[in-house]
Amino acid sequence: MTRARSIKKFLKFAGLPLAIFIIVLVVPFVNGFYYSFTDWDGFKTTKLVGFTNYTESFADPRFWSTLKFTALFVVVSLVLVNAVAFGLALIVTSKLRSKNLLRTFFFVPNLIGGVILGVIWQFIFNSALVAIAEKYDWEPFKESWLQDTNKAFWALIIVTIWQSSGYMMIVYITGLISIEKDLIEASEIDGASPLRALFSIKIPLMAQAFTIALFLTLRSGFMAYDVNVALTGGGPFRTTELISLHIFEDAFAEGDFGTGQAKAVIMFLVVALAALVQVTISKRYEVQR
Amino acid sequence: MKKSMKLGALALASTLSLSLIAVATPSASANTCPRKATVTMLGTIKPEIQDQFLAAVADYNKSQNCYTVKSVPGDRKLTFLQNVTPMYAAKNAPTIMYTLQEIPDMADKVLDLKLTPLARLVSKSLLASGNVNGRQVGVPSTAEAFGLLYNKKVLDKAGVDPSKIATRADLEAAFKKIEAAGKKPLHFSAIWWSLGAHFTNIFHTNVGKTKEARLAGLDALVAGKANLADNATFKNWVATMDLLKKYNAGKVNLTDTEYDASIANLAGGDFGFMFQGNWTEPNLITASKGDDFGLMPLPISNNAKDYGNDSIPVGVPGYFMIDAQQSTKWQQKGALDFLTWLYTSPAGQKRVAGPVEEGGMNFIPVYKGFKIEPKTYMAKEISKFASAGKTLDWMNSYYPAGLQEEVGKVSMQQYFTDKISAADLAKAIEAAWKGKPKTWRGEAA
Repeated sequence: MTRARSIKKFLKFAGLPLAIFIIVLVVPFVNGFYYSFTDWDGFKTTKLVGFTNYTESFADPRFWSTLKFTALFVVVSLVLVNAVAFGLALIVTSKLRSKNLLRTFFFVPNLIGGVILGVIWQFIFNSALVAIAEKYDWEPFKESWLQDTNKAFWALIIVTIWQSSGYMMIVYITGLISIEKDLIEASEIDGASPLRALFSIKIPLMAQAFTIALFLTLRSGFMAYDVNVALTGGGPFRTTELISLHIFEDAFAEGDFGTGQAKAVIMFLVVALAALVQVTISKRYEVQR
Repeated sequence: MKKSMKLGALALASTLSLSLIAVATPSASANTCPRKATVTMLGTIKPEIQDQFLAAVADYNKSQNCYTVKSVPGDRKLTFLQNVTPMYAAKNAPTIMYTLQEIPDMADKVLDLKLTPLARLVSKSLLASGNVNGRQVGVPSTAEAFGLLYNKKVLDKAGVDPSKIATRADLEAAFKKIEAAGKKPLHFSAIWWSLGAHFTNIFHTNVGKTKEARLAGLDALVAGKANLADNATFKNWVATMDLLKKYNAGKVNLTDTEYDASIANLAGGDFGFMFQGNWTEPNLITASKGDDFGLMPLPISNNAKDYGNDSIPVGVPGYFMIDAQQSTKWQQKGALDFLTWLYTSPAGQKRVAGPVEEGGMNFIPVYKGFKIEPKTYMAKEISKFASAGKTLDWMNSYYPAGLQEEVGKVSMQQYFTDKISAADLAKAIEAAWKGKPKTWRGEAA
């Protein structure tokens, strides 16, 4: 096969997806990178300004506080979403009779868009829980959780778990059912307790599923935006502002498109680095079969 | 290759000829339009009277053959600039835009409306905020007022006469009377835009008796030379906020859902007062099925004769602008035709100033030649203040973009929930203003 023919063959199958990939991902990305070095005001650019936008971003205390808040959010949501998702996966792969129904039940919140979910939960935290708490004298819910800086953080976490653990559960189910049955049976015959079988057989053999699920939650944690906007709007007092919302507000509300774009580039580097580290570490635990 | 070039040339030629037709057609008199132009407007005037505005649009579309006006919904959670910037970037700018604080940001992208019939029907003072460097970039929609709204029935029952309340002490006495009558004195909302734009305006507008003195107050803030903590007006203003906080019987809620709750409380007849503006009137009337709501000044000192204690802030909540960059001449003409129809034709005026129950927007007219006047109690009260000259400036129309968010979402809400002291609040407001462009002195936004 000549070189030209193989290129032609490649383009036949991959040409369209490749073109779409370049148009909707590569071009805007390169464009955004370029904008971060200009005085772009959202409408036009007049000149290149070098690293000014970057130095201004680093000098902005709000950028650092949202970055710190985002890191905390990523770590906590990463651990809790995966713990809950793995637990759910264990439940629905057990010998439970209602397991098929439960599978659907746990997955449904993932089908609801983040904004709608945020609005629903805003009502739950602001009105429903407060009304119930008042009737039954239920102290922790008497004041809306969205009013308090710390509780608003946990509200965000709860809604995130609610939304994404069903999806991660599917990943873990795939991992769990890919384990050969005879290995589990052999461990039973050897007298391993269910807990021992879980830690010594199941988890090591499905390490790949952990790599994927952890990567997905890490990425969605850093990128979280819609639930943040709809649930807390960054409040109270802008203390629950995740980095995506901050970048958006910086660019659109205050008209600092240059620094907003620079922050987005910094954010990209942070996420890329975090994902790279996580995948490298997770890969080490994967068992080659 | 050749084929596609031919196609491209053909397309180019046909668009050229079409635009030639558009230019050559004299004016858009009825029935003589070569084709209908679609005029888009970003959002409506405001969510409270969205249905009524869309009904007016439908009336207009039925009334003529040349244009179709279409409202394209924006995202209400976002600001005007957040909505409009991506539309401009996508070369899909709306023809009609409606905003207030972002006017300076948009000034170079929109038509000068100085010579239009509409601009000639409005007084100079009301055109002012839509004038940027001598260009009339926007025309006003209506006049609005804010202050203490009250439920007349509740006040009557408690024996409170709002016209007799002239000082902060009088106000506290009124709150006590309402409590004694078994009702709740007021619902003071922590909605960020109410605190950030309207409540802060009460301070900025009471700073001086003349426009120049008030603008000098903003100048000092921008220069970082204002010492708010030692400013007598600021102290009085904070004391008034403390009073409202003390008698607030509504549940503190920092999210936007708060708005509906406060409306329901005042409309329901359990509460006497709330701090808002006449834009809530359609909701109040709809919710209570009655027309018993009035508006009075918020007194900020204990001397009845002090400037501002007997007046309410009256201003234009927004201006219409017509895009000059991405809309065709045809669309621009249609936009102007629609706005002119809305404020000068009998059918349009009925929609603008007619009662909400009959599909009107209950607007207070700002254009000359209105045959219809709003008839609600609150509208009449506001007219009384306006005709007696007891009006205060809307200094909030000068706030730089992003400032009312910064102040309203952070420092004002923090002070509202007792997280910071009055001295911290003073510092936070000073910090938010420092170094901002003085758009009121013609500086670019």
